[in-house]
Amino acid sequence: MYNNDMTLQSNTDEIREIDAAAAPTRFARGWHCLGLAEAFGDGKPHAVNAFGQKLVVFRSDDGAINALDGHCRHMGGDLTQGEVKGNEIACPFHDWRWGGDGRCKRVPYAKRVPRLARTATWITSAQDGMLFVWNDPEGHPPPPELTIPRIEGATSDEWTDWHWYTTIVNTNCREIVDNVVDMAHFFYIHGSLPTHFKNIFEGHVATQYMTSSGRPDLGGTEGARMLGTTSVASYYGPSFMIDDLTYHYENADHKTVLINCHYPIDANSFVLQYGIIVKKSEALPSELAMETAVALGDFVKMGFEQDVAIWKDKARIDNPLLCEEDGPVYQLRRWYEQFYVNVVDVTPDMVDRFEHELDTTSPREEWMKVVEANLAGRSVAEVI
Amino acid sequence: MTVQIDNRLSDSPMFPVDCGRCGAQVLARKSSWNQTSVQWTAGASAACLERRDPHNSAAYSGRDVFLGCSALTGSIIGAVGDGDLPVVDETVSTAT
Repeated sequence: MYNNDMTLQSNTDEIREIDAAAAPTRFARGWHCLGLAEAFGDGKPHAVNAFGQKLVVFRSDDGAINALDGHCRHMGGDLTQGEVKGNEIACPFHDWRWGGDGRCKRVPYAKRVPRLARTATWITSAQDGMLFVWNDPEGHPPPPELTIPRIEGATSDEWTDWHWYTTIVNTNCREIVDNVVDMAHFFYIHGSLPTHFKNIFEGHVATQYMTSSGRPDLGGTEGARMLGTTSVASYYGPSFMIDDLTYHYENADHKTVLINCHYPIDANSFVLQYGIIVKKSEALPSELAMETAVALGDFVKMGFEQDVAIWKDKARIDNPLLCEEDGPVYQLRRWYEQFYVNVVDVTPDMVDRFEHELDTTSPREEWMKVVEANLAGRSVAEVI
Repeated sequence: MTVQIDNRLSDSPMFPVDCGRCGAQVLARKSSWNQTSVQWTAGASAACLERRDPHNSAAYSGRDVFLGCSALTGSIIGAVGDGDLPVVDETVSTAT
């Protein structure tokens, strides 16, 4: 067993410095969700600031949703302020027409289109109500095995529609990915009480399996009402997490799917999105299920706002100093690195399976003291 | 951007363990009796019999998430019993 002497075993007076290289200016290879597909389906051009660029996203008459670089290769006009004409986006400056394949289809006032009239495009995919774009600095098409898995409930009448949030976060997106392994922050930041915590990284998938118990001491919150949660949450690639999340209540379990996804705006900001669907049941008929989705959505929103408050002022750190009760931060980052190097430079240690199961005994002993102190209306100092 | 070394591994590294069922070799580290990390190789993943069984992957969600191999877990516990794999909690205890 650990004792106080041991936690002070370090016999050096050396100061631990924080190392932090600048956030990468390269953007991750992978599928990124831009939001709900319906938001892009009105036949108007939409500006999306992503991957250090401005993209124009539009649905053409043929029903396809297209994503192109937002600036016209002619004189640099802003295509996001243009107009969809048939299957093309027309530049507001000189009416040059660009197709979803990135090629200039027509210059209405010219006899022919110049050679090399091709702009950057992103492959898009609409699935389960969401719009995805494939980003690859090397320009390769997406391998089929990296396709985002289907979410059964998303197209089923037995589940609610998506309850969706979007917000901008002004930090590098590695911070949110770190949450996959950060067991202790779920208590200190989000007021949950992890009882079981395991991470598995394999291939392009990083999973967090967590059970937690409720927080009877946090009156008036979802955390106080529920008995606990069971969550299997996996990142499929660098930015899209599907969380099969069940809330356990005294009389029923509420099955939900929580999407936690983001896309980088630039090296130091990202768009964070989260979406929730809730399974309807006898205990949760249609309307009540949607109300639950909204209530749980607000609860999740509060959770992310708690994260954002920390991220706002925290330092980027490449050499976190970890105790045994922390999760595998370094191994997660090694997994995450695969999306920032060329495919030929992906090494086995980035993709080989790694498992880390945390012993929550010691953290729980400490946290139960806090819970009990709160319930008794006393400070922790009085209890210990 | 090279990922740095986990300070915990500098204190106490991972050790090889062979699975008693399929023979795959992994690296394992036990921080305590209830805390284990396992580094697999592609070869070990391919050899694992439980991993190949799709029922084991689908148990927790509709998606392909294999939480762990029970035979390997048993072999890791066996390695601790045989003195081949230290438990960090206990090694640190005896060191002080």
